[in-house]
This record gives sequence, C-alpha cells and structure tokens, in this order.
Amino acid sequence: MSADSEARAPLSEGSRFPLGGGELGALIRRFDWSSTSLGPIEAWPQSLKTVTGMLLLSPVPIVLLWGEDGVMIYNDAYSVFAGGRHPQLLGSKVREGWPEVAEFNDNVMKVGLAGGTLAYKDQELTLHRHGRPEQVWMNLDYSPVLGEGGQPAGVIAIVVETSDRMRAERRRDEAQDREREIDQRFRALVNATSDVVYRMSPDWIEMKALDGRDFLSDTEAPSIRWMDEYLFPEDQQAIRRAIDEAIDAKGVFQLEHRVRRADGGVGWTSSRAIPLLGPDGEITEWFGAASDVTARNKAEQHLRLVVNELNHRVKNNLAMTQAIAAQTFRNAGDLGQAQASLLSRIGALAQANDLLTGERGAEVSMRKVLEQAVRPHCPAAEQCPIEGPDLQLSPKTALSLSLATHELSTNAVKYGAWSRPGGVVSIGWSVYSPDEGGPQRLRLEWIERGGPEVKPPARRGFGSRLIERGLAAEMGGEVRMRFESEGLVCVIDAPLTVYAESEA
Amino acid sequence: MSLRILIVEDEMTIALLLEDMLADLGHEPAALAMRLPQALQLAETEDLDLAILDVNLDGRLSFPVADVLMRRGVPFLFATGYGSGGIEPAYRDKVVIQKPFSLEDLGRAIDRVAA
Repeated sequence: MSADSEARAPLSEGSRFPLGGGELGALIRRFDWSSTSLGPIEAWPQSLKTVTGMLLLSPVPIVLLWGEDGVMIYNDAYSVFAGGRHPQLLGSKVREGWPEVAEFNDNVMKVGLAGGTLAYKDQELTLHRHGRPEQVWMNLDYSPVLGEGGQPAGVIAIVVETSDRMRAERRRDEAQDREREIDQRFRALVNATSDVVYRMSPDWIEMKALDGRDFLSDTEAPSIRWMDEYLFPEDQQAIRRAIDEAIDAKGVFQLEHRVRRADGGVGWTSSRAIPLLGPDGEITEWFGAASDVTARNKAEQHLRLVVNELNHRVKNNLAMTQAIAAQTFRNAGDLGQAQASLLSRIGALAQANDLLTGERGAEVSMRKVLEQAVRPHCPAAEQCPIEGPDLQLSPKTALSLSLATHELSTNAVKYGAWSRPGGVVSIGWSVYSPDEGGPQRLRLEWIERGGPEVKPPARRGFGSRLIERGLAAEMGGEVRMRFESEGLVCVIDAPLTVYAESEA
Repeated sequence: MSLRILIVEDEMTIALLLEDMLADLGHEPAALAMRLPQALQLAETEDLDLAILDVNLDGRLSFPVADVLMRRGVPFLFATGYGSGGIEPAYRDKVVIQKPFSLEDLGRAIDRVAA
C-alpha cells in the first residue's frame, strides 16, 4: 500500500501506532478496537503494542490471539493464508473467526494462557477459507505472550502452511502404491501364465533371464550363450534377422520358430517380445513371452496331411466315377438301361467307400465287404449263405472286390438265381496250399443255383470285364466265370501273399 | 503310330478305362500292373514304347518303376490325383496328367512324351 493512499485514509486520533506494517498495519490503525475487549488502541498495554509491532514486520505468517477470547491481530503473510476470511478475521475472536476449528483453538488458548507452548508439524485441518471445505496442512507453533503483570495475556502463533509439500508427498506415495500394485499384478501374471517369460538386453546379445516353465530350460543369470542354448544352428540366422528388424523399428518382436526343449527335443514356440523404452526413448530392455505351440503345430501338420489325402481321395473317386460312367455307356444296349446301371454302380461305389473311411492301410474284413455288397440285392438271408474264414483285405482290394460283387449281384437279380423265388447264391472261400508247405492261396467261389437255365452271353459287358480282368489284376490271380446251365459259377483264385505285400 | 503302352494303375475301374482310352487312341495296352512289385517286373521285362504311371500304388510310390523305365529309355508320364505337388523333385520335369482326365488330355500327353 502506498503512502499516498495511507494519507487519504480517515485517521482516528492516536492512529500513528503501529508504524508501517503493510496492509495490515493500515487496517490495524484504522480498526475500531474500542468495540473489542482490547479497548482503544491508544490504551493498549505496551506488551501488546510491542508484539503487534514485531509481528507486522515479519515475513512469516504470524497471528496474535489476545486475551481470554483470543482477539486476532495478524500480519500480511497471515492474511494470504487466511484467504477469503481476511479482512473480517481482524479483531474477531479466534473461536468465532475459525468456527470449523473452534475446538482446536480452544485448546490452544487454554494451554497458551496457562503458560504452555504447542507445536504441530504438518497438522491436518479442514478450513473454509474460500467458502468451501478445504484440506490443509500446517506447521503450527504457539507460545504465550506475557502481559504487563508478567502473566500470559495472549498467544502468538507462527503459521506455515505445508499443504503444497504434503500434497506432493501424498501424490508421490499414491504413485508408489500404484507402482507397487502394478508390480504385484505383473508378478502375479508372470506366475499365472504357463508361457515362458524372458528378458533380453537392448541389443539381444545378452539374455538377462528366462523362466522356461517345463518347456525350456531356465536361464537364471545373464548369458550371452542363449542362442546356442535354445536355438538350432540352422535357425539362428533367420531368427536373428527378425530380432534386428524389431530392434530397428523399436517395435514388437513376434515369430514362430523352433526351439531346443528342456528335454533336448525339437519344439515349436510362438514368441513375442516388446521393447521397454527409457526417458530418452532408447530401448532399455526387452520383455518377452513364448508359448509352446509344438502340439498345435503337430496337429496342423496332421490336418494338412489329412486334407491332402482327402483331396486325393476325392479326385480318385471322381476318376473312378468317370471310368465307371465311360464304361457303362460304352457297353450300353439302350440309354435307359445304361442310366439304371450307372446309378446302381455309383451307389455301390459310394457304399464301398464307407470301407475306406479309415486311415490309409487300415484293413477291412473280407466277410464285411461281401456282406455289404451282396445284402442290398439278396431277396432273403437264406438265399445268400456266406461262408469262409475271416481274412483281412487292404482297402484297395476291398473296394475292387466290393465293386465286382456288386456286378455279380445285379446280374443274379436280373438274369440269375435271384430272378426266381428260392434261387440261391452260395458264396464261400478257403485258404489252401497247392504244394505242401508252399505259399498259400485264396479260393473264392460264387455259385448260383435255382435260377433259369443259363446260356453263355453273346456279348461280354463291363461287369464281366471288371470281374475277369479288373479283379484278377487287382488280386494278382485268376478269375473265371463259367456259364453252367444250372447257374453261373465264378471262381477267384489268387495268392494270399498279395495282401501281405499290400500292407507294407 | 500305334504304341505298346504299360499301364500302372491301382484303381481297377480307372485301369480298365485307360485300356479302353488307349484302344480308342489307336494304341495297344501292352500290360497292366496294379501293385508295385508287378509294375517293377513288367517295366523290366515287357517290350514297351511308353508307360503311364499312377504315383500312389495302394500306399507305395511308383518312382522305382520310373527309374527302371528311365534306365531302359522308355518314355513315361504320370497320372495322379495328387497333382504335381505329389511328384518327387527328381521327376518334376516329367509330364503329369491330373485325374480325372479326358481322352484328349491323355492323347496330348502321350504325343508329348512319345515325341
């Protein structure tokens, strides 16, 4: 406040005290102290004047609480602290001036006027300095001020607000708590995951640590030999290339690659690492996780094989269908008959395919093949006795035998034993050795009886050719069809060794 | 010109179709083998101008037959449902026809190989 404005202030008599003292000095001079328990300023005791003069000169926030009521006299620094409560606070009773901390100040007055001192460090209080509750922290020092009689007449308080420092400390503590929590969560995650976790130096030359679970061996101390430890020599170059790309980009390293497992075997891992950057933006470390995808890769590989095999079988089936269609129409008497034959043959092919649904090389029971091919055509069970030791056939042989039997069956229904009620087709087979101790042979007979009289056909159709030529080649033996007058006889004679070989 | 041709094919119906197709093309189906041992023997002993090889013979690959034919100087082509991916690298330059194939496909392939 300038001397000029001070000069214009309405001065009361004896207003020369206190001298100076900034804004508060002027306010104190102008204040009507006679309305307080202190009485008019010119009548103040010397002790009160001395302390008032002193506190007005201090740059530290100081308040004087005078008398039993603690009438408040303070300096400019304190007025800043008082905020919106200033200037009403001047000359008010401390318990009324700060009603929200009346109890606290009541204790201060009692202790101070009894000659005691109080000191609080970072005392937390809630004040309403700006019309709303506000949490503040303060260092508070209270000392008694002696009056003329040598008895405590007031209390002087040095008030230093520490809210800013306390808030900063609190923020730092909270940040530390958060960090601790994040760290705990991170540790929990690392422990919870079944993935391998690892840490690498910025250039990936050194592995700082790797927790290999049971998949990879652990690296507990920093190692520069990690590449040889975990990677196969022929893979190292490609993996190093991917690492260098990630380092250059300061980006995520991600690669599926082979690894040497803890048990020494070959494994596959899907590895992913992220760079941790320092304040300068440079990589300080890499943190990575790697999962064991060995089983998944194996399953995928198997699936690829299965899909390839399926594709092959589909193409093969189409080729067979094409072959059957071509043969059927080539040998057709009329179109209607050819159409019926084709549908029937494709049906037989589809049914025979059920025999091949197993893995390649899985064997099929000969009895099953014959029953499946014959049953749909046979009028009654007693018209098709099937008799023979159980033999295992390769799927391919099973398919050929199935198609050939289908041809024999349709022929029997149209022209042979099954075209008459009670006609019988006996299907029987046996294993025999033509020479004592020599290689074994299979002899299968299809014998029709009870049908119309049979005459050799004028023309041999696809069915006959399939049986006599195709099946013979398939089984590596001989297939004969005899058109005996009482019924057709078909005899298959083939070495049994063919099957053993085909299993290889 | 009529050629004597060996058929190596493990699928009965396709083998019979091949015989018919060769006859239609004016060639002579000289022999038919449906399994590897039989095919090896025929490749070694038959008087042949050409051969048509299925790649997979009931689970066994027919490349040993191809080796015999190459040694004898008999040209051949592969007929397969696997596509050229199923052909071993050593035979990648050979003619391959995809099953199922048409009469024209077969005729063109034979002409290329026999030329």
